[in-house]
Formats: sequence, structure tokens, C-alpha cells
Amino acid sequence: MRLTLAVHSISQMDFGSKTQLEGTRLQIDVEELRRCILQDRRLQSVDLEIARPGESCRAGYVFDIIEPRAKEPGSGADFPGILGPVTPVGQGVTHVLRGAAVTVVDGGQPGGELGYESRRGGVSKILEMSGEAAKRSSYGDLQHLVMVPRAHPDIKRHAVLNALRVASCRAAVFLAQTALSQLPDSTLDFELEGPKSGNGNLPRVAYIGQIHGHQHGTESDEHILYGANTRGMMPTPLHPNEWMDGAVVISYSWGARGLETYFYQNHPIIGELYRLHQSGQANFVGAIATISSDQESEMKRNSMMGAQIAKWNLGADGVVLTKYAGGAPHTDMFETARQCEALGVKTVVLTSDTASDSRAESALLINTKEVNAIVSHSEGSDVRFQLPTVERIIAGNSEVADIMSGLSELTPAALCGIANNQGASRLQPIIY
Amino acid sequence: MKVVHYLNQFFGGVGGEEFADTPPNFLEGPVGPGNLLNQILPEGSQIVGTIVCGDNYAVENQQDIVSFVNAKVKEARADLFVAGPCFNAGRYGMSAGAVCEAVKSESDIPVVTAMSEENPGVDVYRGEVLIVDSGSSPANMRDVLVRIANLGAKLANDETVGPPSAEGYIPQGFLRTEFVEKTAAQRLAEMLMAKLKGESFEPEIPVTTFEPIPVPLMTTEIAKAKIALVTDGGLVPRSNPDNLPRAFSRVWGAYSIDERPKLLEEDFEVAHGGYDNAHVQQDPNRLVPVDVMREMERSGAIGSLHEEFLSTTGNSNPLENSRRIGREMAQRLKEAGVDAVILTST
Repeated sequence: MRLTLAVHSISQMDFGSKTQLEGTRLQIDVEELRRCILQDRRLQSVDLEIARPGESCRAGYVFDIIEPRAKEPGSGADFPGILGPVTPVGQGVTHVLRGAAVTVVDGGQPGGELGYESRRGGVSKILEMSGEAAKRSSYGDLQHLVMVPRAHPDIKRHAVLNALRVASCRAAVFLAQTALSQLPDSTLDFELEGPKSGNGNLPRVAYIGQIHGHQHGTESDEHILYGANTRGMMPTPLHPNEWMDGAVVISYSWGARGLETYFYQNHPIIGELYRLHQSGQANFVGAIATISSDQESEMKRNSMMGAQIAKWNLGADGVVLTKYAGGAPHTDMFETARQCEALGVKTVVLTSDTASDSRAESALLINTKEVNAIVSHSEGSDVRFQLPTVERIIAGNSEVADIMSGLSELTPAALCGIANNQGASRLQPIIY
Repeated sequence: MKVVHYLNQFFGGVGGEEFADTPPNFLEGPVGPGNLLNQILPEGSQIVGTIVCGDNYAVENQQDIVSFVNAKVKEARADLFVAGPCFNAGRYGMSAGAVCEAVKSESDIPVVTAMSEENPGVDVYRGEVLIVDSGSSPANMRDVLVRIANLGAKLANDETVGPPSAEGYIPQGFLRTEFVEKTAAQRLAEMLMAKLKGESFEPEIPVTTFEPIPVPLMTTEIAKAKIALVTDGGLVPRSNPDNLPRAFSRVWGAYSIDERPKLLEEDFEVAHGGYDNAHVQQDPNRLVPVDVMREMERSGAIGSLHEEFLSTTGNSNPLENSRRIGREMAQRLKEAGVDAVILTST
């Protein structure tokens, strides 16, 4: 399975009379894009704005951030299972607008402290384009098409969220299709020989990543893996190329702090394992997508099966494991890692520091002596970013706009692109 | 900067083990290793007095030695208090830790001591007291005193203290978020390769080990026992009278179930943000099984069901907090004559 990313650098994004890519300048015909988004009859309007690096602008609450990408005709479908029938991805050529992003703001997200149901679809995630927070964010130097799709008032919340998901993918493809006929600035190839290959005596490494935490259940029509909502899902071998090429998007995820589809497309861990593979340090043999469960029996079964697949199907000597946001996924990840270690598969896990008392002893929700290789990112509850007063607020609604215009500081967890569960974060809890 | 120094009888020049019962004595100026420390301290700083006390006396009369040290530190108007270095002398480490902690809380001045990592004083006092890692050999005395002097001066001048490895002290176990050069993914890949090659690696969060708690012997027959229900699933009466939060709870509640044949949906709610509690909302007995326990009470399978259930929110609680909640709950149940507990966790 060979995937080629045809990378087109974007340095400027503007609205104009025609949707086209000229050199590194992306011009968008706003009415054409609006028609594309509003073909979904659940939506009655969409606000479209551009937020550029350094602009005095704040957007939120963010539903998701996606990198504009489009498959070369004949290479496969864009976001199969979401925008069309399920067909495989991860092969052929995918055009990438590097330096650009589609950022979707949830127009139906209420403002205050709310119960679980009404909070699905992002937890107060905010995109800053200026100040220190923007400098530290992975998204601060991108050109963002920020869109706020608004559903008809009688559309149920789950269908609104589904419409946001479809709109986010549509816009990403719409923008990147401008690159289809053009020569890229560079190409990146991703190819693995797969679990059967020898690749000498190099250690065989794999990735086991959770793509949802079912302590917060998914909607019937929620798209996560090739359009599936992952209820009752068992660990599934998923080629790293599929992971990067539109097979997976983030769930609506109450509490999905530090998770955006952008970092599935540019998966930091898959990227690192590819680097080890391409530099001849290790043989990257594959990846396994899994979930965390809300049932103990399911947790045990999934942990066992994840470890079994890593050991006996991929033949892995070592695996990197990540969790979805929250505490329950932490348990499932540790149990999977423990079962891997029991089979002789060495593990490294990515945790997040959850110590509300800032004590190292409280930082792990579960301690297992076999799971001894721990990398931790921090949600940075002891770090505050001072926020500048901004000229432009792109908000889902007036209630959120009021909250966002009054903000003077935020913790990293509330900001897009600083705390991250997918391996992109540079925030580390240091023991003093 | 005025410094008061604490030494045991050996380093204080009184004598060896046969003088371990010597009561505390205050001497003007530096004594023993204090002479070297006095030279190393920054310009304008000096040891104004030294307290020398026998190891046995200090351990057996902790109140006395703490009062003595507190009084002398105040009299001297000290800006910094130093104890040791103690290396791996256990009683010396324990008393140095105790007097440092006391001075810190009583006089609110910085305190520094030094011990080897194996010294029992480390486990007890590392969280409160900055302990320089002295190793076990007094041959390192000069190097240890240099680090004590550096740290002491930084603390006294309100300067930022660097991480343990850079400053040479034993980690206190506090976490501070910092921006680092490498992403988590890069660190994961490096740690994986180190582990696969059999090279050493350090987990970024240490794996905590817990002291084993022996299971108590059941001395009452189950058919005669009083059983209590305890949960960390956050079940509370409607309106949440104790304001249990959805996470990081510092409180717990005791709620009456006397006379109730079972828990009714309309009487209870869930204060917990860490699990899908729809089933519990529908039927609280599935978290706190009063209905089944009543049947067992009637059939004589158990003696009786305790008249209240205890509840807290077990969601991202700091360990120290969880330990306290556990101790308080156990105390209440013990006083009520409860023989056994069913603990339901989510």
C-alpha cells in the first residue's frame, strides 16, 4: 500500500471571484463554496471567514480542524463513509494544501456550564490567531477558512452534529480540488512492506491508537471510522496510510480536548514510526485502531484482542499506545499495554497528567508495574495564556461571542493546538 | 543572610554513638562542617549559630527539639535554616526533616537539608523540605555543601529553583508544566527504541507503588453481619446536599436508606463526569444495590443492611485526598459497628 502526498504550499488565502490555486495563493469563490456546503438541506446558512496568522482574531467553539486534501481521480474517494460509499483509502495520490486549514465552528454550541448531552461536539475549544497562545499553537501559522454552518431550528442535535461533520469534510475537499491539475511543491511517499516483510533483523514496531472513548457514547449517525460510529467495535488493524488518508475523523467527543482530524491526517506518532522505518532503525509493521469501553467485559476483551493482534498478526516487538481524551480510556490503554507486555511486546504509552493537586503520585489514574515506559503530555492546568483583546470574534452564536470577547486568559486545554492527545504536544509535566 | 545550622552529636563534635542521648545545645557561629559551609556561602552571609543534638534524643523527644530549634531560629532572626548533611544516617535524617519542616511552618523561612536517597527521612519529608541528594559518602561533603549553599541562597532571595537534576536535589514530586523542544510523539519513539534495545529510559511520570493494605479478617458470620454500601460513583440525593462535584471531589456524603425497600429514581441523581451514568439515573440500585441487599436481609443471608450508604465522586481525585476520604469513611463505618462493606466503583 503506497500513498503519495502531493504537497502544495499555501501562503495566502483570500476570497475572490474564482476558486483557484495560483502558486501558493488560494482564492475562494465564497458563493460557490456556500452552495457546496448548503447542498445539505439540514443547514440553512453558513458564515464563511478567513483567519490568517497574526490577525487579531479569535474563533470558537471549534468543532474540528481539517487539512484541505483531495484524492487524485482514480486514487480513491475522499472521506469514504462520510461523503460517499465506503471504499478503501491509503493508496495513490492525495493532494494536500499545506499551510491551510478548514476550521469548523459549532453554531449550536451553548455557552455556559452544561450537562453532558448539550455539550457534545467540542468543549469550549478556542482558536487564537494572535498573541502568545497563537505562537504556541500548532494552528497559529495556518491560513484558516473558518466556517460556521447553521442548521434549521427544528433539526435535532445529533443531526446538526452530523451536518457539521459532513460540511467539514466537504469544505476540505472543495478547497484541495483546486490543486488536482497542478504540480506539487514536493511529494512524500508512505509505503510499508507490511507485517509479512522481514526488513532484516530490525525491531518490528506498531501503533495501537484509541479513536473514541465510549464513557461518552456515540450517536447512531456519528461518523468516526469509515463512517462507523464504533459502538461495539473491536480492535481493528488499520493501515497507517488509511489512518492518514481520510478513513478516520475525530468523534464529537464531549471532552475531546486536544484532538482534531488535522492530527490524524498528519499523525505525529505514525509520522515518527514512519521516520524510524524510512531511516532503517525499525520495521513499522502496522497500526491497530481501537476504542475504550464503558463495560469492563468489553474493556478486557478489547485489551486482549489488541495485544493478540499486535503480537500474532503484526508480529510486533514494540508498540506505542495512545488513548482518547479522559480517564476511562487511560484504564483501557494501560490494560492493553499490560497484556502486550505479558506477550513479550514492549510498550510505550502516552498519558495525560490528570493530577489536580500537581503531585506526581496523582498523575496516573492507574499504575501497573509492567507499564513502565510512560510519556506524558500535560493539559497545563498550571499554565495560563494571557489573551489580547481582539478585533474580530468568529463565534457560533451571540452567547458564545459574549464569553469569547470577555476572555482575558485561558489554560492550554481550552485552546486548539497546544495540549494534544495525538502526540503533537510540547507541553510536558516536569517533576520538581 | 543569617543562617542557623543543625547538626547531630557526631558532626557537631560531641562524640559517637555513646553520646546519642545528648540534649540540644546552641553554639554561636559555625561548627564542624558548618565551617566549610560558612566559607562557601555567598558574600555577606554567615552561620550565626549551630544547634547540636544527639540522634536518639532528637528522635525520642521530637516535641522538645522542635521547640528548641524554633526558639533559637527566632532569636537569631535567621533568613535560612540548614540541617545536615545527614548522608544515610537514618535517625539524623528523620530529625533533620522534622526540624526543617517545623522551622518552615513556624518561621516561614527557607529550609534545606541533605540526605542519601535511601535515608528514611526522604520518604517522610521530601514533599515539604528541599533535600539535596548527598549520596552516602561524607567524602562528597564539599560538593553537597556547595549545592546546599546555592539552593539556600536562591530560596532566600526568592529566585526560581531549577529542576532537581540541574540543582542536585531529590525530586519533591511536584509537577510543573513546561514547553519542551520535542513533541510527545518524538519522545515516544525515542523511548520505544531505547526499551527495544535494552537501554535505560526514565518514565516521564514515575510509576507509583502502593503500600499493601492487609485484608481484615471477618470475625462475624455473614448471616449476622451488618453490611454497608459504599460507592465512588457519585450517587447523591436529589439537589446534591453536600455539593459533590463531577470530578476532583474533596467531599463525601452519608445518606440514609433506613426503611427504604429500594432506591427510587426520583429521589437520587449522579454527580460524576467520568462515566456514562444513564443506567444509574434510570435505576440507582444498579450502583448502590439496596433492592438486592433488602432481599438478602429478609432471607437471612446477611444480618442487616447499614442504615446509610456512603458516596463520593471517584474521578481524577488526588491520591492524598482519596486516602483521607477513605480513612474518614472507614472511621464512620467502624464507629457504627459495620462488619463489612460492599464498595461499588465506576
